[in-house]
Amino acid sequence: MASLAKRAVAELVGTFLLVFFGTGAAIITLMISAGQDPTTTFNIGIGVLGGLGDWLAIGLAFGFAIMASIYALGSISGCHINPAVTIGLWAVKKFPSRDVLPYIIAQLVGASLASLTLVMVLGMDAVTIGGLGATTPFPGIGYWQAVLVEAIGTFILVLTIMGVAVDRRASPGFAGLAIGLTVAGVITTVGNITGASLNPARTFGPYLGDLLMGGSNLWNYFPIYVIGPIVGAVVAALLYQYLTSEDTTL
Amino acid sequence: MKCYICAQEGKDTDALAICIVCGMGLCQEHIIRQEMEIWEGGYPFPSEKVKETLPRILCPYCYQALKGE
Repeated sequence: MASLAKRAVAELVGTFLLVFFGTGAAIITLMISAGQDPTTTFNIGIGVLGGLGDWLAIGLAFGFAIMASIYALGSISGCHINPAVTIGLWAVKKFPSRDVLPYIIAQLVGASLASLTLVMVLGMDAVTIGGLGATTPFPGIGYWQAVLVEAIGTFILVLTIMGVAVDRRASPGFAGLAIGLTVAGVITTVGNITGASLNPARTFGPYLGDLLMGGSNLWNYFPIYVIGPIVGAVVAALLYQYLTSEDTTL
Repeated sequence: MKCYICAQEGKDTDALAICIVCGMGLCQEHIIRQEMEIWEGGYPFPSEKVKETLPRILCPYCYQALKGE
């Protein structure tokens, strides 16, 4: 097995790719649609160009980045690139406690570097127009509604990971494709509700970038994107473990 | 079974093993024993190299072909 340092670097790089390409797609969509009048208050600009198709495009950008990261880095670190996934696997004793914190730190650093790199690449419009792709509940969505939606989205993600990758009966080789497309599908539906983070690191990077670059201070929403994904991930991992445990009585 | 390579050279030598790829009978002189690394795990767990290697017997022809030289 690669050393913890090498595995942490792999997590950092994987999370960087996820946030750079995923939130980059959201930022660019907002920059392209800037100046156009959304027809409803529920529309913040993503959806002006192609309705739910805008969210599908953003979802696929996330999905393809995740798929590439899994195939490239999966055998090195496991390519969790998401603190909720790391904690979910730890909850069912599939991941050692001593590695949890280093993995999460690497994921947060990777996400933050990606957001700052997007500012370097796109300029300050990425902050002022795109908000660095930061996630917040959409108009009319309450705090706990948002937590519930994030939990459900991450539940589906981790349930898929358990079924296509953790379970030894799964066909090898399909994990990256299945998980990438699952994330794309979840973002298409959940995107216009909470921004569809499903990942505390994916929200942390843009929040920190916005704060450092003089954008919005959104940290009061951060617990939504920590509690929701972690609860969803842990429940999914525990449920899958229960469903696949062998019955002792006939 | 006799060693195929020795037979080609006009010698009559008993085979001790067969090539796992082509099935050629091989004597001690023509056996190539290769130790293959085994890796376990992969997404979402880091891959780990198993301590024990997997031995396999090859003939010189298949060994060269698999090495790509």
